[in-house]
Amino acid sequence: MNQFRYVCPKTIEEALEILKEERANACIAAGCSNLLPKIRDKNLSPKLLIDITNIGELKGISQKKGKICLGPLTTIAELVNSELLFKEYPILHQAAEQFADPVVRNNATIGGNLVTASPAADMAVPLLTLGALIKIEGVRQKREVKLKEFFLGPGKTILQDDEMIVGIEFEQSDINKNGYFVKLGQRKAMAIAIASLALNLKVKQNKIIQIRIAMGSVAPMPIRLTGVEEFLKNKEIKNGLIEEAINKISEEVNPISDIRASEEYRRYISGILFKRALKKIIPY
Amino acid sequence: MPGKEPGVNCRMKKVEIEFTINGKKRSLSVKPNDLLINIIRNDLFLTGSKYGCGIGECGACTVLLNGEPVLSCLTLAATVDGKEITTIEGLAKGNELHPMQIAFLKNAAVQCGFCTPGMILTATALLKENSNPTEDEIRDYMRGNICRCTGYIQIVKAIEECASGRKTS
Repeated sequence: MNQFRYVCPKTIEEALEILKEERANACIAAGCSNLLPKIRDKNLSPKLLIDITNIGELKGISQKKGKICLGPLTTIAELVNSELLFKEYPILHQAAEQFADPVVRNNATIGGNLVTASPAADMAVPLLTLGALIKIEGVRQKREVKLKEFFLGPGKTILQDDEMIVGIEFEQSDINKNGYFVKLGQRKAMAIAIASLALNLKVKQNKIIQIRIAMGSVAPMPIRLTGVEEFLKNKEIKNGLIEEAINKISEEVNPISDIRASEEYRRYISGILFKRALKKIIPY
Repeated sequence: MPGKEPGVNCRMKKVEIEFTINGKKRSLSVKPNDLLINIIRNDLFLTGSKYGCGIGECGACTVLLNGEPVLSCLTLAATVDGKEITTIEGLAKGNELHPMQIAFLKNAAVQCGFCTPGMILTATALLKENSNPTEDEIRDYMRGNICRCTGYIQIVKAIEECASGRKTS
């Protein structure tokens, strides 16, 4: 494995100062479950690893001012075990439960899952329908970005080389409490999604008041299906409408053929996943 | 960045770490890119933990870090400073095997044995979280530990037996 130096800052400020000095030479390390295989395959050759796992402020799940805040160091295991998420935001619990396997989940972090920017990122998909906000800090500036504007392409995000994620937030709203996540993989364990779908919904007397749909593995990055969302908003749920929505989903996704599935199959299954998720939320 | 050879400014300074492994305190000086599995096997000669896939797909290198199962091939040795590690060698008390080890032996849940240390450690972590798991829960929890002899039925039986033994005792 390539050689690198190692530092272990204790505060965000310390980490940001080091990042400012080292820029692209440095790489932030948390759970390492994606990072180490990348370094070994020489897809990444950092000269410095900044181990942020001792920065307490980046850990844990909290509630404040009508928002849920996830520290980027929150492990996927912590998401699975959170009573709060299980009871009130089941969509995150469901996605975390299907993530890799229980052992990897003890290391893998939610921040790591986002910055890796895999088109298949399991946690990004439900965070998109929760309307998550990413809090970013650099020495020069602090900023907040909507998750749907965070990804630029496979492995690419808007993070500058002197910035890091310091928080992930979403609102404690009705729509966020009513969601479902489905993942289709070749098998249960360790599977990278062939396609995944998150759906959050607010319905009143069978009419869709608010709807958010996001998908993984059907585009160069996890995406929101805003076209279909617009189409479905303020409409009454009935069979014909759902069939129309399924067709629109197959058109709106932008998948490729790869080792896991063909483009055609992904277009087809995208609509099916939507139907499955919808039926879980409201049996129609 | 990719492909660039490490230059002078990345000469690795060793990292001093102190940790407890199987109840014993150890101090080591490790390179930043040393993997925990290599330190455990090559420096501490605890060869029970196995190096399998190296990318987090097989579970053969599983150890307990502060009581939680983690993959030692995806853990940098430098990051275990101050932590407590248990490897398969740390489960038995003297000559007395851990109940999970006994259950694996009794149920012939060992064929080639390569996956066994990881299997047993993950299984002990499961029972710590959930003392009475169903078969589905066992299979779900153990899903990242691969047995290429495919002796899964015996492994699941061993874990079930260990769990029920715990209940009655």
